[in-house]
Order: sequence, then structure tokens, then C-alpha cells
Amino acid sequence: MNWTCEQTEARLSDYLDGLLQPVEQSAFNLHVNTCERCAPLVAAVARTLGGLYAMEPVEPPAELENAILTATLGAPSWRNLRRWLKSLQSPRFVYSMASLAATLIVILAASGFSFSKPKLAELRPATIYRNADRKAHLVYAQSAKFVSDLRVVYEIQTRLNENEQNPATREQAVPQNFPDKQPGRTDNTNPSAPKQQNRADEIGRSLRVLASQFPVFSGSVGERRMP
Amino acid sequence: MRRHSRRIFNICYRFTGNRTESQDLSQDVFLRVYRTLGSYRSAHGGFATWMTSVTRNLLIDHYRRTKRDRVTDSLDDKMPLVENKESAGRRPDEQALLGELSGQVQSALTKLSPELREAVILRDLQQLEYSEIQQVLAVPEGTVKSRINRGRIELARILQQMGVRPS
Repeated sequence: MNWTCEQTEARLSDYLDGLLQPVEQSAFNLHVNTCERCAPLVAAVARTLGGLYAMEPVEPPAELENAILTATLGAPSWRNLRRWLKSLQSPRFVYSMASLAATLIVILAASGFSFSKPKLAELRPATIYRNADRKAHLVYAQSAKFVSDLRVVYEIQTRLNENEQNPATREQAVPQNFPDKQPGRTDNTNPSAPKQQNRADEIGRSLRVLASQFPVFSGSVGERRMP
Repeated sequence: MRRHSRRIFNICYRFTGNRTESQDLSQDVFLRVYRTLGSYRSAHGGFATWMTSVTRNLLIDHYRRTKRDRVTDSLDDKMPLVENKESAGRRPDEQALLGELSGQVQSALTKLSPELREAVILRDLQQLEYSEIQQVLAVPEGTVKSRINRGRIELARILQQMGVRPS
């Protein structure tokens, strides 16, 4: 591979950075070792690069940071104020203020403070305490009544559930004889099953016939049906 | 902020060779970044690259603005270089030599054309990748490589003319 002085100069950084292909690298070396013009150039640039790499970072002036902050955010006092104001935008502070405001609103509402027609007298501690105490007692009494009502309803509900779950118990609880009612009828006036009602009427009629034919039964039948 | 301010100050110092100007330029960079923060889009590159791009634009503006007043000789305001803590382990004679060489290379850097200077600073002093330099300078990668190469060769020639021979 033929290598020229122009190529050496153009690819010098690639050579120094190790980016040449093996073929190019050997051609480069061969040329530089035999060229009186390129050899000192390569050596000088390599030394310069070493000098650049040896340069250490310069320490900036101590006042640079403050100067930058002053230039961007303003003087220290204003900066502190801005920082303080910015801290007010933090979620923690906002939540705290929101909960505090909610608490105050609840206390004022409990003390009977009228938000539509606010009066300064209602904001006196003694008034707030007295109103809050009265409200608290009222709320307690209403709550106690509500709980008591709730208990009664719950008890009724429990009994009904028990009856539904145990039909035997329910039948036992129902009285066996209803002297004022016709046999086969339930508590409702309208019979739910007409056929059953007809059969009951028929049995009633038969009993009355038996009673008339056999006076012996009249006492017991009469006791049961016609006291 | 300390990391960024240090990096920006170093770019400005290597470009201008003047501490006072570098401090003012660093402030201007942060002020511009603060004002144009809304225009930054992460899709177009990292934040550091964007800041470097802002710095480069301000440096070029500053270079053009002060072109007439500039003295082509050494622009150093004779402030001593304050090396960082990493150099604390060196012997005093080594430290002095390094400081002297650093000052000479810095002086040679300021004699480079701004196009070549910014390319060399970003590549060899800030250790940026070619793709990052391409974003900062807004030129094709081939142009970036060419500028870096020419910048290194030109810097070596300037140092030779100054009689400096880095070991």
C-alpha cells in the first residue's frame, strides 16, 4: 500500500487515536519511518497531545457560584425569600394547610358559625365553646337515638330471619285453633287456595250433620265449633 | 451546579485564556441556560451537551465582539493557575514544570483559530465523543474530525514556533 505525506497529515489523528486499519497502520509506519518531513510532525503532534492531556482542570474562582446564583436568582435575601416561597409549594405543606383549614371549618360549623352571615361575636372563644358544647350534646343524643333505633330494627330482622330459617319453630309459634275463623283459612281474608277452602267448608258441614245425628258428639263438636 | 459551573468555567478559560472573562462568560452561560431552559429538549441530546452548545455559542459571540480589541499576544491576565486536588501528590519541581507547560499550551491554544480551538478543547480537554462535538458545533462528523486533526497539527506548530517541546 502506497502512503503519501498528505495522507499522513490527514490521518494523523486517526493514527494517534488508534483508528487506523492494520494495513493502513503498517503503511503509515513504513512511510513515517522513512520520511524526513512526516517523522518530526508525528512526534510533535504526539507530544502536543500528551501536553493537552496533562493539563488539569482549572479551579474556578470561589465567588463564581454565588455570582451565578445572584445573576440567575437574584440577591441572597431575595433568593432566600424565593426559596422560602418555593418551599410553600411543597406537597407536605399544602396537605398540612388543607387539613388545618378542614379542621377549622369543621370546628366553626360545629359551633354554629354562619358562613353566609358571619358575625364577629360568634368567633369569641366562649361563644364557640358554648355552641360547640350544645351541638355536641345534640349530636350525641341524636346518635344515641339512632343507635337505639338501629338495634330494634336489627332485632326484628334477626327474629324474622330465624323464623324463615326454622319453619318448624314458626308453625309451633302459630296458634292451632282459631275459633273465629273458618277451617282451612289463613289469617288473610282471601283464601289462597279455593279448592282447599271448599274442602274445609265441606268438612264443617259434615261435622254439623254428625252433631245433629249423634248428640253424643254435639258437646265436643259444639265446644269446638260453636261455643 | 458546582460540577457544571466548574466544567463551563474550564471551557471558557481554555478558550479565552482569561480568568475574569471566563467568570463573566460562565455567569452569562448560566443566565442564558436559566432563561432558555424551556427550549431544552432531552430528545436532542443530554443536558450537559446542550449547556456546552450554549457555552460555545456565547464564546463565539464573545470572540467576534472582542476581535478588534484583542491583542494577539498572550491574553493571560497573569493570574496564577490553581490546580485541583489531584495534583497534590506531585513533587514541587514536577508541579512547577507541569504548570509552566500548561501555561504554554494554554497560550498556544489562544493563538489557534476559534474553529480549531473549540474542536481541540472539546475533544482533548473535555474528552467529548465525536457525536457530542458534532451536536455542539452543529457540523457533520467528518468536519469535526478534520477540525480536530488540523487543530492538533496547528497547535504543535505553534508550540514549535514558541520553542516549547512537551515531553
